[in-house]
Formats: sequence, C-alpha cells, structure tokens
Amino acid sequence: MEILNQVPSRSHSVVTRKTGDEYIIVPVTGNIADMDSIFILNETGAFIWEMIDGEKSVEEIIRLVVEEFDIDRETATNDVLGFLNSMKEYLIIKV
Amino acid sequence: MKNYSLNIAGYKIKFESAPDGPAFEPSARFAGSLVRGQNYDVLVRVHMGHFVIPERAERVFHAPFVEEKEGRSFKRSEEFWDVYRGEGDRLYICTIFPLEKSLERGTLVFSFKRNIWELWIEGKGRKADPLTYPLDGLLLYYLTVISNDIMIHASGVGFNDRGYIFSGVSGKGKSTIARLCKDAGARVIHDDRLIIRKLNERYHFFNTPVYDDDKPLEAPLSKIFLIEHGRENKILPVNGAMAVSQVLANCIQHNWDRDIIENLVNAVTDMCKQIQVFRFYFKPEPSAIDFLLKHDSE
Repeated sequence: MEILNQVPSRSHSVVTRKTGDEYIIVPVTGNIADMDSIFILNETGAFIWEMIDGEKSVEEIIRLVVEEFDIDRETATNDVLGFLNSMKEYLIIKV
Repeated sequence: MKNYSLNIAGYKIKFESAPDGPAFEPSARFAGSLVRGQNYDVLVRVHMGHFVIPERAERVFHAPFVEEKEGRSFKRSEEFWDVYRGEGDRLYICTIFPLEKSLERGTLVFSFKRNIWELWIEGKGRKADPLTYPLDGLLLYYLTVISNDIMIHASGVGFNDRGYIFSGVSGKGKSTIARLCKDAGARVIHDDRLIIRKLNERYHFFNTPVYDDDKPLEAPLSKIFLIEHGRENKILPVNGAMAVSQVLANCIQHNWDRDIIENLVNAVTDMCKQIQVFRFYFKPEPSAIDFLLKHDSE
C-alpha cells in the first residue's frame, strides 16, 4: 500500500493536552477553537498521535504499535489507518 | 466620584477618572463590592470621548447581540462588541451599550502584559458607570484570561465547608438546583456564572455582581456536577479527558487567540486532576439535594 511509505505530521490547527493516558484535541480554525468538536484520544490513539512526528512513516508507526500493545500487524494496521483517516483534517501527509 | 475600587472574585479593580474623564456613577449591583485601598490587580483609567482604533488593527473577534430566553438564543442585532489586535501586544474591545441609552460607545484599550488599562466612553452626559453591560463581563473575562482562571456557566453553592458547582448551558437547571440547595440550607454563591480560581493550591469559586447590593461570595470547590434533568436522581463519575472536554464546553471563552485556548485547556485539565467531575441527572424536587448530599458523604 502506497500510504505505508507516507510520513504524517501534525498540523498546527489543533491545541492538544495530555491527561493521564489520553489526549484532548481541540480543533482551531482561523484562530477560533471549536469546543463542540473536541477529540478525545484513548491510550492507543494517544500513542499513535505521539508517534506522528513528521519523521516516522506510517509503516514505522504500525510496527511501533505492534510492539507497544503486543497486537498482530493486521489489527495495528487497521488501528493506525483508521486513526489517520479520522484525524486527516489535522494531519499533513508527506509522500 | 473620581475614583473607586472593587473587589470582585478576589480581583482588586481600581477605576480612576482621567482629567478628561467622567464622574463615576457605579451601578447599585457593585455597591457591595466597593473596597478601600490603593493596591490593585488592574487599574482602569477612564476617559470621556471617542477613541479611534488604529487603521492597522485587525478585527479578531465579533460578537452579535444575542439574548437567551428559556434555553433558546435570539439575535437582537449584528452590532455589539468586537476585539481588535493592534501593534505589539495592544488589544482593543469596542462595544455599544444596548441596555444603557445615555452611553453610545466604549473602547477598552488593554494588554495581557500590562495591568493599567484605558477605557474611553462616549455618552450624552459627564457621568458614567465604567462597568456598564457588557463591559462588566468583558473586563472580568479578560481578568480571568490574564490570571489563568476560569469563567464558567454554572451555579454554585456552599454547604458548610463543601462547595459544589452545577454546570450546564442555558436550560439545564442551574437556577433550579441552586434554589433547591438554598431551600436545604445552602449558601448560594451564584445561580448562573462563576469564576473559579486556584489560590494557595486550592480551588475556590466566586460570584460576580449581577443583582443590586450583591456581596462578594466564595466557597471552596469540592466537586463539579454537569447537570441534566432526569426521571430519577443519578450521579455518574466523568473521568479523564471526557471530564475536561465536558467542562471546557461550558466555559465562557473568546477563543480568538491560540494562547488563550491553550491556557484555558491547561487550566481546566489541571483543575479536573484535583476536582472530581460527575454527571448529575436530577429531579427538580428536594429529593435531588438529599441524594446529592448522601452521595457526597459516601
């Protein structure tokens, strides 16, 4: 899959804050926060979010998720691709 | 009167009339908040006249005049108040006074980094209340912003040394539950809007003057309840990021600046680590308060 070689990074159109194992992500459009559309990332989402650093490819992130949560590659791939899709507005994807 | 000081939510706010300024005529709702002394957290120097906002200032926030009745919002006019960002850290709030016919326009010139603010008021006479609506709420809101405090849609009560706030948007029952608590012997701090501050490592909540002769009131913050009307009384814990996001949604916020958003998210996250948050479904009758107090004592 072509997407596995792509490198995602976080856009600046969100404000984030970690609390415990979770993240709160507040979308910001034109400097206005949308408090009705806050994302809450669970432990897995928070880990994927932290791995998105503009350097690691999707392939590497999947490998790290497999290691971190001791799950099979197919489950990790579904988790990571699903996450990238749901958060695509707040990510910048480089080929 | 050419100068006076108020204590609102523990903030000392001093008003000083400039040589071109008005004689002050503060509303009766601030009478109970008057204090003596020269110290201040913010000094507002008040002028009478028109202030011209620099052409290069950028409008960053616009608020239409909206009234809420029975949980519904009605836009009364597009014109109300705006925030402009000028050069450096200079900010301007330009407003009309829809509820005060003798005043036409006000401009607050301020900065998050300075505690001396300038206010220009345009009006027909030489007397003015510098906290005429909406300047009262705006000035207090920006005091909470520069202090990393929280202004929230909530009623709040004190039962002896326990303080509870009941948060929700209009129509959720903030006034109803405050009244039920009062009937059960509680001190009502406010029934609609509170300021929450962390002072000496403990959270406290404060009223803001709304009614004539309102006195400054506060209580320690023990628990936060997100309220909903329910068929039965039920209290469920809300934890972690969900608690933060639910409380954030009820905070008063002018999110035109990334730093303001980050500071508010951080302030609410820190508070929710120390103060438990619950969802409280309640029947609008005295049994709700018995249930609440029993829950708190367990």
